[in-house]
Amino acid sequence: MSSSHSYPHEPTGVETRKLGMWVFLSTEILFFGTLITTFMIFKGSDFPGMKLTDVYDIPFTSISSFILLMSSLTMVLAHNALEANDQEKTRVWLLATAMLGAVFLAGQIYEFTEFYHKGFELTTNIFSSSFYVLTGFHGLHVFIGVVLLLALWGIGQRQKGLTLEGGMNLEFVALYWHFVDIVWIVLFTVVYLI
Amino acid sequence: MTKIIEPSKQSSIFRRPSSETGIWSWITTVDHKRIGIMYGYAAFFFLLIGGLEALILRIQLSQPDNNFLTAAEYNAMFTMHGTTMIFLAIMPISAAFFNYLLPLQIGARDVAFPRLNALSFWIFIFGGAFLYSTFIFGTAGAPEGGYLAEEVGWLGSAPNGGWFGYQPNAGMKYSPGTAMDYWAIGLQILGIASLISAFNFITTIINMRTEGMRFMRMPVFTWMTFAVSFLLAFSLPIIAIALFYVTFDRKFGTTFFLTEGGGDPILWQHLFWLFGHPEVYILILPAFGIVSEVLPTFSRKPLFGYAAIVFAGFGIAFIGFGVWAHHMFASAISPVAQAGFGLSTMVIAVPTGVKIFNWLGTIWGGKLKLNTPMLFSLGFIGMFVIGGLSGVTHSIVPADTQQTDTYYVVAHFHYVLFGGALFGIFSGLYYWFPKVWGKMYNESLGKIHFWLMMIGFNLTFGPMHWLGLQGQVRRTWVYAEETNLQFWNIVVTVGAFIIALSIIVFMINWIFSKRNGEIAPFDPWDARTLEWTIPSPTPVWNFSTAPIVKSLDDFWHTKYSEDEDGRAVRREEADQILLELEEDGLNPSEHIALPNPSYFPIVLASGLPFLGYAVIYKSIPLALIGTVLLLIGAFGWGTEPLEEEIHLDSDE
Amino acid sequence: MSDNHIEHPTPKKYVQIAIVLGILTAIEIALYYTEDIVGVFTDPLLILLAVGKFIIVVGWFMHLRYENKTINRFFVGGMILALILFTIVMVERASANYF
Repeated sequence: MSSSHSYPHEPTGVETRKLGMWVFLSTEILFFGTLITTFMIFKGSDFPGMKLTDVYDIPFTSISSFILLMSSLTMVLAHNALEANDQEKTRVWLLATAMLGAVFLAGQIYEFTEFYHKGFELTTNIFSSSFYVLTGFHGLHVFIGVVLLLALWGIGQRQKGLTLEGGMNLEFVALYWHFVDIVWIVLFTVVYLI
Repeated sequence: MTKIIEPSKQSSIFRRPSSETGIWSWITTVDHKRIGIMYGYAAFFFLLIGGLEALILRIQLSQPDNNFLTAAEYNAMFTMHGTTMIFLAIMPISAAFFNYLLPLQIGARDVAFPRLNALSFWIFIFGGAFLYSTFIFGTAGAPEGGYLAEEVGWLGSAPNGGWFGYQPNAGMKYSPGTAMDYWAIGLQILGIASLISAFNFITTIINMRTEGMRFMRMPVFTWMTFAVSFLLAFSLPIIAIALFYVTFDRKFGTTFFLTEGGGDPILWQHLFWLFGHPEVYILILPAFGIVSEVLPTFSRKPLFGYAAIVFAGFGIAFIGFGVWAHHMFASAISPVAQAGFGLSTMVIAVPTGVKIFNWLGTIWGGKLKLNTPMLFSLGFIGMFVIGGLSGVTHSIVPADTQQTDTYYVVAHFHYVLFGGALFGIFSGLYYWFPKVWGKMYNESLGKIHFWLMMIGFNLTFGPMHWLGLQGQVRRTWVYAEETNLQFWNIVVTVGAFIIALSIIVFMINWIFSKRNGEIAPFDPWDARTLEWTIPSPTPVWNFSTAPIVKSLDDFWHTKYSEDEDGRAVRREEADQILLELEEDGLNPSEHIALPNPSYFPIVLASGLPFLGYAVIYKSIPLALIGTVLLLIGAFGWGTEPLEEEIHLDSDE
Repeated sequence: MSDNHIEHPTPKKYVQIAIVLGILTAIEIALYYTEDIVGVFTDPLLILLAVGKFIIVVGWFMHLRYENKTINRFFVGGMILALILFTIVMVERASANYF
């Protein structure tokens, strides 16, 4: 936030928006913590009907997890390019990140549809409910992330290009995107592998 | 002094709002002071409604076997009373104080994110309106063959599952209709508002402090705001998810909290109280902060043990996360958990006790000035100690099992939240009245208010201890004549009406003094914190030049020095300093850029109730309207710069 | 305003980190298929790997290890709080029927 007056702020030396984003991400931990806890509790309880293990496709999910993981790389490369003020590269990497995110989302939609057709529905049992709400909540985050990335890419098309300052800056979105990625790192293990 | 606002050059969906007076200037404002004032009025409005609901409850209970209300209406009234008082009255009134005072106390021009601040206010307003629209649109049915299977009027068409919505009672089977959906989604929306303001305040305190305002020089009220914001930021997500589950259970047929589908009702209790207990401290810590400002000012002594109070505040906030299950001693939780949470509940009394002794130490030996804010603060200490002590009795699990869901509990938490939080809030309202309006309140009316409220309060909630121990159960709409509970119930009802009377006195005082009160002198209380170094009412730009802070209670030290005996002696030049401060504060020497008003916070916020209705009625068109509003708001927000220059030129 | 810019890693370094992440993921998947051989160690190992990936992304990609302590404390504090609270809830729920 670069304002014209010389009023003092940021005694910590951290940019205010970035600080706000980190505070937000810290609370997101509690959001996902609650969801994961519920999932774990119900996973360990007795419930009738289908389990995730009856329907899932580990190779498929592994690939989509890998795609999301790599989108963090493209994101950080976009950030890096912008720090070097290379607008062209920044836009390319941004678009790549958004695309990888979209592929992940498409994979999730495909996966949900498959599960659904196999009879693993939202209300099948307590386990399927918590599965869909947990992964769906994450999916919503990815979706918002993709929208933000595309918006940023759109802003980058303008003459002035992108900067690391001002409202919707790249660092801001990048932090959010990486967070969505680390949540999936945990979910992939907790939901699918264990 | 003239103000020139340059017209917006940015292309935007709307023309940038530019009026400085009138209703649009308030709707589009991003000024923390105006937002604070609006928070205050809105919260007070809901306080009146919540109070009205309480009076209705008390009329019903004044006679045994009364039929003033039906059972269904009674359920709706106590649920709405609790929900309103907690989420729509006390929390936002605290937010009003945070908004108005926090930037002033740390020497800032505004909060870190002014537009987000406006957004959280409007979300709160829409959330409250959404919740209350249940009286118009909501339906509260009765379970098949249930006791409540009777005609439910509009008064009963509100949420009726209690403010903590225990499952499965609040589920679709036992609470059919849409009323509980309004409750779940309404709280969800209100939670978003509080969460956003929590980020904002945390960031503001960390990053907007003026030069020299180190952490350990911040006023205690600011510290308590900080602690409350942490509590909000870390506890609201938990209830948000739990409310998601409730909504899914009710609307989409899942069984997260319903045993018949393998769900776990106790999990709801865990998740609710994981939020609900920190919530108790969210309600009380602001009052701690206010009292810690008022007591030293009117005792004419520095706060006794500043560091201890600060750390005790954070101790309370931290331990406050570890005591939630003491609300569940009567539920099916393991004995080990009961023992553990009983212990932690005893432990949390320690930092609270530290604070009480610090306040007593502050008053001790001071030259007390017993005006209205001081009376309320002293009343706060007394009442809070009673409430705190009856609270500690709940840490003894076997005793708690007896007291659970009786009027003893009701008495306890009203001593804490009314005798504590609300007394503190009234203390603050009187204390900062001259700051906000530039006028003095009427001292005699203020004292009448205090004494009426003190008497009414104790008549209302004192006897509830005995009623509870005699076995009157909470949340029942009648009691039999043979129980001999009538006498104290009448006393309680009379007390409740005395409180209502005191509130009327308060309102008369407020309206009258705001219009015709004496002009407040600069620094009317001979105070210690930064907000009193600027003219009252506060200029739009807060500080014309950034203050530089050299010590704790810096303002006090510019006015006073110590003699050999350590007594405060007013400096000769003190009056001159005050005059200069007033002069400087009114005439900024440089151009001041302030954030511009914006339409987008209210547009963005208006999308949420539509989304809420969309979930309740499973309506795609409503969902689309909501989403479009959100998108317009977000897009306009993103493309509109925070501030375009406002030039404040002083006439030479 | 934040002039204390610490050197972030180079693109090459980022790619290397991503390769490490990819390898860790491959090990995770391999562990999943070799559960019969690895036995009881599978789950702890999987959790350990997830934590490792988590730390790498947070530390390097999100630059947390280059950031100001304020941010660090906040995020780690939220983490620790969540872990404590939810562990208690899970243990209580799991044990409620046995004690």
